[in-house]
Amino acid sequence: MHKNNLKIFGVSFFCLWVLGLLLWVVPSYSFNLDQFLKDVEKSTQPQPKPRQEELDITIEEPKAPPPEAQQNTGNDGLIGLGQSLGIFDKKTSKILKQSVNTLQALQPIAYKEEKAIGGRLAVEVFSRFGGVYDDPKLLRYINLVGQVVADVSNRPDIEYHFAILDTESPNAFATPGGYVFVSIGLLRMIENEAQLAGVLAHEVAHISQKHALQTLGRSRSLQGLSALTLTVMDKNPGLFDKLIDEVSNVLFTKGLDKNLEFEADRYGREFAYRMGYFPGGLQNFIRKLGKSKEGGNSIFMSTHPSTSERFNRLKKTWNRYRKASLYPVLGKRFFSVFKRPSKS
Amino acid sequence: MPKSLFIQFSMVLLGLAMLLLPYLATAETWYVKKSSTKLQAEASARSKILSRLKQGTRVEVKKKSGKFFQVSTVGKTGWIFRFKLSKKAPAERQGERDVLGALGGNQRMAARESASGSSIRGLSPISEQHARKKGATSESIQAVKDMEDYKVRPEALDRFLEEGKLGEYSQ
Repeated sequence: MHKNNLKIFGVSFFCLWVLGLLLWVVPSYSFNLDQFLKDVEKSTQPQPKPRQEELDITIEEPKAPPPEAQQNTGNDGLIGLGQSLGIFDKKTSKILKQSVNTLQALQPIAYKEEKAIGGRLAVEVFSRFGGVYDDPKLLRYINLVGQVVADVSNRPDIEYHFAILDTESPNAFATPGGYVFVSIGLLRMIENEAQLAGVLAHEVAHISQKHALQTLGRSRSLQGLSALTLTVMDKNPGLFDKLIDEVSNVLFTKGLDKNLEFEADRYGREFAYRMGYFPGGLQNFIRKLGKSKEGGNSIFMSTHPSTSERFNRLKKTWNRYRKASLYPVLGKRFFSVFKRPSKS
Repeated sequence: MPKSLFIQFSMVLLGLAMLLLPYLATAETWYVKKSSTKLQAEASARSKILSRLKQGTRVEVKKKSGKFFQVSTVGKTGWIFRFKLSKKAPAERQGERDVLGALGGNQRMAARESASGSSIRGLSPISEQHARKKGATSESIQAVKDMEDYKVRPEALDRFLEEGKLGEYSQ
């Protein structure tokens, strides 16, 4: 009788243990075909890629791939043959073609090449936007604030460089490889260090999330290339010309995709918050810029989504910053470095 | 009879322990995001620095306290400011960043062409040559070089954070 009881207990608990193990393991490895197909389709869309960062920021999906991403890239081959022979239906062929494109899209660009492109664009920024603003104390301060937010970004392992542009037009730029610029006109509109941290962190986010390179990734002038290396760029001066023209056009004239700007806003606010700044600095500055006369006339407005849209989007996700009012804005420190003539 | 009860009770405990085993076995592994990250004796920026960890160092998180994680790594246990850590391994993060796609080929980049971020310094010759060819002024080129040469010492950054009660010094 006792032996039977023991057996029953033993078997019961072994079953419970196996059940517990399954409950723990199965969700991680379960396979859902429908979800898989959705993932394949989703993965062929352009950046920003959804990603799970340390603090679970939700990154919204882009609405539709641009025409460049949808064009026929010449991967018909066996898949096209399979479709014409009736092995695959139209939908399956499309998914397979997109999967092939996705695999090709894994082609990496190294930091060395990114920096070569970004460095050339940095020269362009100085040429186009007033050159260097000479104020060593302010430059040091910009470098300190910029560096501390870059240190808690998603890409702290590269060097970031910060500079002030001598133009009264409010503007800020980031070029690939770690170059960040802010105009003296924009600095004059800033009210505290938390706002400055937000603005610089927005630019750092463009670099950490490789936004400009994503635009380049869809470039027609790169079609047919197997790799973009310094050697390739060196041997094809025409290609480097085209790359620089294309990225210049996006950064200085057309502006990045709206969704990339929204992403940079969200990450920018997040990086400033991680460093301990009041996270509302960026959105407060955006609102101020939208209301100002100076902001309305700058190219900053023509290359970015409207300030009201940016402000409203940031406000929508404000809930996650509980106790935000306890974080410092450091207005006093900002004005101790960047003294302004009194208005009276 | 009491003996059989004892055996049954022991079996219940053993069963529960086995049931919980898979959950207890889940250790949280994080990675250091940047070289020279401080491992400190306590969950405070002013505590003793036990060692400086290299980028990519794997750590096991034991406890979380505010903005600090207690971790164990290479035989040491200490505290790290949580935003200096990432859940993703360096290789995974690198892959995530390699987004230049749609080039239409299959060749992988040669190993000699890739390098870590901190080891490449100075304006690339190809950038400078191109800028000169396109008529950029020497001042603009020099401005980029000056920008790259500008360095803030780690101690100055640390002092800046302490004064502003930011980062690991925040309350």
